[in-house]
Amino acid sequence: MNILKLEKSKLSGLLKSWNDDFEVMVPAVENGNLVFGNLGDYEPVLDFNGRPLLPPKEFMFPQIEKTFSFNAADNTKIGIETHLDNTKRVIWGIRPCDLKGIKTLDTIFLSKYVDAYYEARRNNTILMGLNCNEPCNYGFCSSCQSGPFANGDFDILFTDLGSDYLVNIGTKQGEKAVSKSLKLFKTATDADQKKASDIEAASRKAFKNLPAMATAQQRLPQYWDDVLWKQESVNCILCGGCNFVCPTCHCFNIEDVACDKQISTRMRYWDSCQLGGFTQMAAENTRPLQEERLRQRIFHKIVYTPDLYDGALGCTGCGRCIEVCPVEIDITHIIGRIKVK
Amino acid sequence: MTDNIYTPHLMTIKKVREEAEGIKTFTLEFNEPKLQKSFEYKPGQFGEVTIFGVGEAPISITSSPANKGYIELCVAKVGKVTQAMHQKREGEVIGFRGPYGNAFPFNELAGKDILFVGGGIGLAPLRSLINQMFAEREKFGKITILYGCQTPKRLLFMDEVERWGKQPNSQVLFTVDRADDTWQGNVGVITTLFTQVSFDAAKTYAVVVGPPIMYRFVIAECIKKRLADDHIIVSLERRMECGVGKCGHCQISGIYCCMDGPVFTYAQVKSLKEAV
Repeated sequence: MNILKLEKSKLSGLLKSWNDDFEVMVPAVENGNLVFGNLGDYEPVLDFNGRPLLPPKEFMFPQIEKTFSFNAADNTKIGIETHLDNTKRVIWGIRPCDLKGIKTLDTIFLSKYVDAYYEARRNNTILMGLNCNEPCNYGFCSSCQSGPFANGDFDILFTDLGSDYLVNIGTKQGEKAVSKSLKLFKTATDADQKKASDIEAASRKAFKNLPAMATAQQRLPQYWDDVLWKQESVNCILCGGCNFVCPTCHCFNIEDVACDKQISTRMRYWDSCQLGGFTQMAAENTRPLQEERLRQRIFHKIVYTPDLYDGALGCTGCGRCIEVCPVEIDITHIIGRIKVK
Repeated sequence: MTDNIYTPHLMTIKKVREEAEGIKTFTLEFNEPKLQKSFEYKPGQFGEVTIFGVGEAPISITSSPANKGYIELCVAKVGKVTQAMHQKREGEVIGFRGPYGNAFPFNELAGKDILFVGGGIGLAPLRSLINQMFAEREKFGKITILYGCQTPKRLLFMDEVERWGKQPNSQVLFTVDRADDTWQGNVGVITTLFTQVSFDAAKTYAVVVGPPIMYRFVIAECIKKRLADDHIIVSLERRMECGVGKCGHCQISGIYCCMDGPVFTYAQVKSLKEAV
């Protein structure tokens, strides 16, 4: 399909046109924060800088979800009901860092053993990206190869050209989504595409003080026993915020909630590797110290995830963990301390 | 649509045996006839056990694949799920998914002398391998089993342990950390048994399962006896919630204990930070 162009004033109508077939999630303001909200419930914020405070991860992998219901007629007969969410969803306004985050979650949840809960949501979700014309506060996506402009990982990608959006279609699913409303679009000209690449170049150029991620990736293993983990983690108050806002954190707990004597529900919910109980077993805790837990978070993102999944970096450079940390633990500062030894 | 990897399969408890103080062995059969027929596992693997209404926990399989038609789980009453499991009686139903993890390298061990070192409930996964080896006894050289636990009341599978010791070219030694009035055997931590055995280090593989603290001392003892690092095999315990490399709890230096382990050689473990 050709590269398309959409007048900005027509976006709102386009989003509404999907509302009949999809749950349409858009950037919206809640309690003063930019988040993703349902178009039916929120006034969409279509012109915005930076990225929402929370990534759209929760629409594929919710903070808490019901996975099974167990019904017991007696102790010898159990009925098992599986709860898959097949809601058809469109998410508009996903920044490139978060598109990359979803890509990373795809490799984790859909490789080897397929996670049916993630798969059901993911297969029913259309990802609509929005490129970043300028760096955001805290963001360092350009050192993580995940922004400011997306390079794949979207169904449809929007680029803000001023009064229009340049609209790239990435998949058949994306093509299908616009097919009903093709009359709203125009075909983009070479000049439009040139404008988009100029904006991209300017946006890339505007990043300052980028952390040397490639060096860190190479050198981190040499820093396993370094004093930096203790120094950087000393103020941690174990809130877990860094994990909960991360677009790639995927750790979860499985827990059964008894509803009454005969029925229970199995839930899974996000866990945080920064909390002391994360590795607690009957016999011992294998990571009893905060410095070990901070090291695990950083190593998991920068060393383990690329090792496990074909080089895909576990950090997208969205900067949310820096933004929400109440004691200013800063991944870019840690990366900055990793030097050639 | 793919099969849901998290679905527990129903198993009926056929037998409950009071194994030791706070420890029971459950004999289980799958309710689905197809699964009951097709289910296969190897010594060293584990499953996620569901006690409906309570929760799920990883438990190693203690029976040997040489015994067809059932699996056995030996469970110490420790946490919420295992305590609830101890309330279960014959005829009741639990959930099971698995088997997960790699396994003890049964074929690689053929032709070798084997030194088993089991601590406490660690004998449960070892028992699976030991019984499979005795089922194919001619394939292996000398089998030495060192077994230790805290008190005489916590000793497991003692009828089988004594039977193992009576097999040709086999030796069993056991000890308790703290004796009681009835105890006449060895007293002391498991490493004290090393002075009573001799083995040919070049031909011997040690298979070690026990609490984390035991590994540090037993591995040191094995090295002192000149066992090579890749001749020392351990099974590590971690909080394996999902069993399929997603939930993140069992990650050790970038590998998932639930999928890449729980069985490792000491040569592998040595390069894994945080492993032992």
